[in-house]
Amino acid sequence: MLSPAFYLGLFLLVAPWQENVYKTKREKMVSQQIERRGVKDPVVLKAMRTVNRHEFVPADQIKNAYEDRPLPIGYGQTISQPYIVAYMTEVIKPQSHFKVLEIGTGSGYQAAILSAIVKEVYTIEIVPELGRSATERLTSRYKNVQVKTADGYNGWKEHAPYDAIVVTAAAEHIPPPLIGQLKDGGKMVIPVGSSFLTQMLILVEKKNGSTTSRNLLPVAFVPLTRKKTE
Amino acid sequence: MKAFFDMHSTPNSADLLSTRLMLSLGILSAAIIAFQLALMQVLSIVQWHHFAYMVISVAMLGFGAAGTVLAFFRQHLLNHIRWWLPLLMISCGISMCLVMYLSQLSFIRFDSYMLFANYTHIGRLLLTYLLFFIPFLLGALAIGLMFDHYVVYIGKVYFANLCGSAVGGLLLLALLWFLFPNRLAAVISCLPVIAGIMIIPGKPQRTKTLRFFALLACIVSGFSIAFPPTLHLSQFKDLSKTLLLPEATLKMERTSPYGPIQAISSPVLRYAPGMSLAAEEAVSASTAMFINGDWLGAVAGYNKADTAFVLHNTSFDLPYKMAPKKTVLVLQAGTGLEVAHALSRNAANIVAIEPNAILIEALKHTLAADNDSLYFHPAVTVRKVEPRIFLLTDTAHYDLISLPMAGSFGGSAGLYALHQQYLLTKEAFLHMWPRLQPAGAISISAWMDYPVRHPLKLAATLAEVLEELNIKQPQQHVAAIRSWSTISFVITKTALTATAIQNIRQFCNQWQFDPVLLPGLQPEERARYHLLQDSSFFQYIDAIFSRDRNALYASYDFNIKPATDRRPYFAQFIRWKNLSHLAANFGNRSIPFFEIGYLLVVITLVQIAVVSFVLVLLPLFRRGWKGKHKGSVLLYFGGIGLGYMFVEMVFIQHLTFYFGQPVYAAAAVITALLLFSGAGSYMAGRFAQNKKAMMRIVMAIIVLLVIYAAVLMPLLQQTMQAVMPVKIGIVLLLTGPLAFCMGIPFPAALSWLARSAASEIPWAWGLNGCVSVISTALATIITVEAGSGLVLWLAALAYCMPLIVCSRWDQEAV
Repeated sequence: MLSPAFYLGLFLLVAPWQENVYKTKREKMVSQQIERRGVKDPVVLKAMRTVNRHEFVPADQIKNAYEDRPLPIGYGQTISQPYIVAYMTEVIKPQSHFKVLEIGTGSGYQAAILSAIVKEVYTIEIVPELGRSATERLTSRYKNVQVKTADGYNGWKEHAPYDAIVVTAAAEHIPPPLIGQLKDGGKMVIPVGSSFLTQMLILVEKKNGSTTSRNLLPVAFVPLTRKKTE
Repeated sequence: MKAFFDMHSTPNSADLLSTRLMLSLGILSAAIIAFQLALMQVLSIVQWHHFAYMVISVAMLGFGAAGTVLAFFRQHLLNHIRWWLPLLMISCGISMCLVMYLSQLSFIRFDSYMLFANYTHIGRLLLTYLLFFIPFLLGALAIGLMFDHYVVYIGKVYFANLCGSAVGGLLLLALLWFLFPNRLAAVISCLPVIAGIMIIPGKPQRTKTLRFFALLACIVSGFSIAFPPTLHLSQFKDLSKTLLLPEATLKMERTSPYGPIQAISSPVLRYAPGMSLAAEEAVSASTAMFINGDWLGAVAGYNKADTAFVLHNTSFDLPYKMAPKKTVLVLQAGTGLEVAHALSRNAANIVAIEPNAILIEALKHTLAADNDSLYFHPAVTVRKVEPRIFLLTDTAHYDLISLPMAGSFGGSAGLYALHQQYLLTKEAFLHMWPRLQPAGAISISAWMDYPVRHPLKLAATLAEVLEELNIKQPQQHVAAIRSWSTISFVITKTALTATAIQNIRQFCNQWQFDPVLLPGLQPEERARYHLLQDSSFFQYIDAIFSRDRNALYASYDFNIKPATDRRPYFAQFIRWKNLSHLAANFGNRSIPFFEIGYLLVVITLVQIAVVSFVLVLLPLFRRGWKGKHKGSVLLYFGGIGLGYMFVEMVFIQHLTFYFGQPVYAAAAVITALLLFSGAGSYMAGRFAQNKKAMMRIVMAIIVLLVIYAAVLMPLLQQTMQAVMPVKIGIVLLLTGPLAFCMGIPFPAALSWLARSAASEIPWAWGLNGCVSVISTALATIITVEAGSGLVLWLAALAYCMPLIVCSRWDQEAV
């Protein structure tokens, strides 16, 4: 029978190698899926290279963690495609002094990316099971992130106003309390559409009391109409 | 090899076909059809309705595979038929219970969405196929064994089989009113058990085993009825997600043939589609309703004192802002949100049309407190009727006809691609038009989906309707405004007045909406508050309302041509030839989710074709085909398999339109077709030896199908407003002669083969099963791509194949 020391030795031997594999995958993810599609902000790219995405997906999805697609995380929710996470982060033009509110913690990956860039991240998850697991993942390693399991509709009034709000779950209406907790000049980004598709993102901007929206096409736009000869 | 059907050995007196045997066969057949429909219902709830095709195919596969098993073990089975027959029937009943339990186990359950995210779910799907296949195989084996043993009475046996099946359809319809779907299989399982017990022989050996087995079956069925399996809904279904919300409470649950309805309340459940960004007040919590686990709508309270109704600051308020609406017709009122909206805008007479009686009852009683007793308001009249039927029978005129929102939030990844939406066809809008007051309007909204599809198809529908109505300047009759996520259209009978246009502009400014279509609109007005990536959406909309419409239809990556009554698939957008372009734009992984519903049917077709080949044809190939009528058997049985299923599928689709409900339509079609086919098969013996008579029968089928291809839909459209007894009479007249004739070729040819080429019967059976399996999904695909008319033409063409064989009958007979 093999001794526990053998397994420990094997683990110590394999673990760094495994980490290198993930690092290579992350590099590839950033260069092929993110940079190539136009995300340029160096702080965003650095965060995407640093945060271990495979730690935020269910065990049966680890092998797919760095693929160019959203993945199911249970409870009918998904972890967004890496490019969408990077794009949503870049769109709010994050600064190191920013205070950001995230609605829909899900796996916690978006919050982890934000935490590597901004000063404070407040994130709210409505599904208790997801909230619990995200808290476990985030609070030990990402000290500037606070997780709350609650209804995100009313935002997190105690820490308002926010420089930016990232809504990761598609919503059929944008809660007025969230607009209220956005600083003047602040930005809110929200996805629209099926979570399994490359989503349309809406950027909501608040300026001088007026709120406007802008559609952001997350993919390099190729017209949907073509000439017959094509 | 000994003949499959031994016509030369006349059954002895003990083998005479007794009434008890016929009754037993009828009960078993009823159970199989009822189980098939119950599975369709269960899969609609736990997944989505597309799996109905899978169930039909799996059932057919069971019949095909039964033929193969019979071919291999015929002699043994026939020698012990008195033992095997009850055993197979009782096993069929037990398996109906067991597969329901097994299919809900966590390691077997599949999820439609996960099929493309986690490939183990493809294996689970296949496992589910195989599980559901077992009861059909066992039941079909028993039926096949009776066909074989009592081939002298093939007409009567086939008659009992078809009539039993017809009763099974009606039985399930009745059960759906009383039983929740998780109990259906258990209750139905009693039937094959009863059928088996009925024919347990009196004294012979091994009867004790059978009796013990029957007792065991009774215990299993009884246990299943008392403790039915819990149905686990897909985690991606709206109901599943809603139940995860804090303090989610089930307020009401009822079942009916429409599917189970649930009402859920939660303090965090709010609904305000595309609400203005200028809105300052938080939306109050509402109750939400679900049907088959899918979102049905929100129930909002209406209180005259409450001036801030939930839809007032959404684009849905557009028609009320143009001019006051005193008389409002709300089609497919659902949870009554639009009815409350009309009340909040002081409409004096509101007619709400909703065909679902359970829904109306729930809103009137159980949920009355949630909607402030909306349906008891003196201004509101509720009518339980199909909207299209109401439009044809109604004589009143309205200021506004309000339609439910087209599409669902988030696009639902095309799950509803194959939903037949007869309220969104061109013909539906043409039927609404005469119901408008001179200054009346029709309003409808859609989500601004991405890539944009619903708004463009809606715009195309409205543009073509106005053109067909000979409106000279359609743009003068259309207004459309856009929020950050919704678009609302209004078309008016008379040109928009200057006051209406001014009111719309004021409304847009107040709530920060952007006008999309409005007479005199300036380009810069279209994206003042909600900027799009570029102006292509506006170019498409303008093209739709111009002469360039067809060029846009041809060049756009998605199918945005209006739906029609022959192709009532409003939410079907995929164009196969453009898949590569879409894949280049959105990535291969995204493609399935553009139209998962349609794709699932195609996948089902491929999978079932492969499985039926492996389970039915491959074993037969291995056994070898030694007969000399290969071509004839292939043409004849392939042709009638294809033709019969094509006709069944078209009739289900057309009668869904006629009666308004798929469940009723399926029950009506299956019952009528089977009953009349049963009558035909009863007479089949008279034709089996008469070449000319057979040719006349097949020609009659072809002629009827050609006539139906041309006149069926117009005839149904013309008589839709008739009272129910008349409509049922019309359906019986339409289906009767055709189904009677279609019931003859199969037993007649089996009888002919039994006399002259018995060794080829397994092939006939297997081929017929395989083709039937494939043709269910194939008929749907052809309908989506080219319309139901073509399917009938193809059915007629399919019946030409047996005609050719019949014409050569004499030469081929041995």
